[in-house]
Amino acid sequence: MRGFLTTRTAVLDWLRTLGQQEDVFFPLPLGENSFSFDKVRQHSRLAFEDFDAAPGEKPFRASSCVQPPGKKLSPNNEQIFRFSKNAHGEYQLTPTLDERPRIIAGLRPCDLKAIHLMDRVHSDDIADAHYLTRRRNTTLIAHDCLQPCDEHCFCDATGSLRWRQGADIFLTPQPEAKLLLEALTERGERRLDDAGFAPCSDIEERRALAEEKRAQPFGRHFDAPLQRVIDTVSDSWESPVWDKHVERCFSCGTCNLVCPTCYCFDVQDDYNIDDPDSGQRSRRWDGCMLEEFAVVAGGHNFRPQLAARQRHRIKRKLAWLPARFGDGSFCVGCGRCGHQCTVDIDIFDIANDLLAATEARP
Amino acid sequence: MKLKIAFFDMASCEGCQLAILDCEDIFLHILDLVEIVEFREALSETAPRFDIAFVEGSINREMDADRLRDIRARCSWLVSLGACASHGNVQARSNALSPAENLQRVYGAEACHTVHTDPEYWPLWAHTRVRAVHQVVKVDYHLRGCPVDRHEFLHLVKRLVAGSLPRFARQPVCVECKYNGNECAFAHGETCMGQITWGGCDAICINGGYRCDGCRGLLPGANLEAHRALLRERGLGEAEIDSRYRLFCSADVGPQEAQP
Repeated sequence: MRGFLTTRTAVLDWLRTLGQQEDVFFPLPLGENSFSFDKVRQHSRLAFEDFDAAPGEKPFRASSCVQPPGKKLSPNNEQIFRFSKNAHGEYQLTPTLDERPRIIAGLRPCDLKAIHLMDRVHSDDIADAHYLTRRRNTTLIAHDCLQPCDEHCFCDATGSLRWRQGADIFLTPQPEAKLLLEALTERGERRLDDAGFAPCSDIEERRALAEEKRAQPFGRHFDAPLQRVIDTVSDSWESPVWDKHVERCFSCGTCNLVCPTCYCFDVQDDYNIDDPDSGQRSRRWDGCMLEEFAVVAGGHNFRPQLAARQRHRIKRKLAWLPARFGDGSFCVGCGRCGHQCTVDIDIFDIANDLLAATEARP
Repeated sequence: MKLKIAFFDMASCEGCQLAILDCEDIFLHILDLVEIVEFREALSETAPRFDIAFVEGSINREMDADRLRDIRARCSWLVSLGACASHGNVQARSNALSPAENLQRVYGAEACHTVHTDPEYWPLWAHTRVRAVHQVVKVDYHLRGCPVDRHEFLHLVKRLVAGSLPRFARQPVCVECKYNGNECAFAHGETCMGQITWGGCDAICINGGYRCDGCRGLLPGANLEAHRALLRERGLGEAEIDSRYRLFCSADVGPQEAQP
């Protein structure tokens, strides 16, 4: 494994330079209190937090990035294929694959783990060529967290705080406004070899230094170990907890649409107005909290009750997908759903309430 | 044979018809798909029958209701065009007042007296209640918004031409806000009607830095109790909340179901 040590400023300048040759996505300020993974331009305001930053002092946090970075790999309203009629009057389909190289930089371990899980999902059974093509051409530059994002963060509880797998380059904050850069893949090595940073010989010591600095305890923790949470959610079907947490719910789908491990979509066809024999099929993000999500042909809705939809969402994150893939929790603890819900419905609270309800059961 | 379409206006600003004329970059292609047979804003011809009738505006007088019933009888699909036709819009705020009080407020005491006593003005007196189109006749599709969204109009026309069902997802504005990666209005101290309002507008107002005022009407099954509680928590008084709900009168007319 190769390591380099340089200043934060040098890394940010490097990203700005790369941004002039290809698409580099980095959390840029959005509105008054949010961030968004947008394309880096020559004069973009880029920043990483200081090694000594206090909680909340960071320039940006994972949960304040409205959309998780992984969504760049399956964008909304993505075209899947185009269709047109050939000379014999038959329809021909041309798949749309996006092969442009890109870099996603500044993503946090929680979002990195989410991308790892999405890699699993999209490679499973029928491979999703659209996602995998983008993924193959994407360099991930992740950044470690020494302080929790905010009061919603619970990444340590879901086992994603120390996640590194999937990153091509991993950045660790160091004293004196420096960053340790580790190449974790060949692609990462190639990128760093070209950058011209000073090699670092004491990687292990540098990582230990950061580990020492890491907040302890880190963010929120469930009232029981993760496996107990998963077992409890798996065993909870009839429970008043499901009803409790939808009293204030708008069924607006925000929790789904900002979740880094929600990947459901709805397809639709559209023909071109200037040539009705041709057109495209595209897919847009869908969410199981939305009322029409489970409507099937003929109009029947097999999940009309809000509480049943909430249960479905929680079980996907903390029971069914963990069982299906054996890769731990599908909730990565980024805190976005709780952070962005206008009525503070939080998967963390639901899990804890289910634990309490199970304890109380005779 | 091309589908024949016609446009009609009742009590409205005609801005929705303008929004449709705003498709000018693709208008000639639309005319390859359909034939416009009546459209006061764009041509002088009229027609006895048509496939799709787009009705803009609210129904304020009984003669408008009669005209609407006649339009309904002459078309296969009737589409309410915009907020006035779909739920009355701002003019329906007068429904909250008695007709006499309303006339006096708008025209003064003397004019109000004239309307009361002079048979010439009695048709005005009959203007007692502003109705949405679906409160008078059956509506097949609602194109919501103030004004309507040209993409939804295009979607509807293209689907009907192709013989398939138009689909207007029954979901709130929040969905499109998340599609666009917007910062939630509540995240910077604003209050918003997005959670309880029919989407389909691409969250255009929030994209532009404003909030949602609910011009597209109330989403069926919207959790109003929770929404009012949230607005109270964010410092709005009851009167302010009522005013917000009534701005486009969506709350008074109630949600319109998507059909069929």
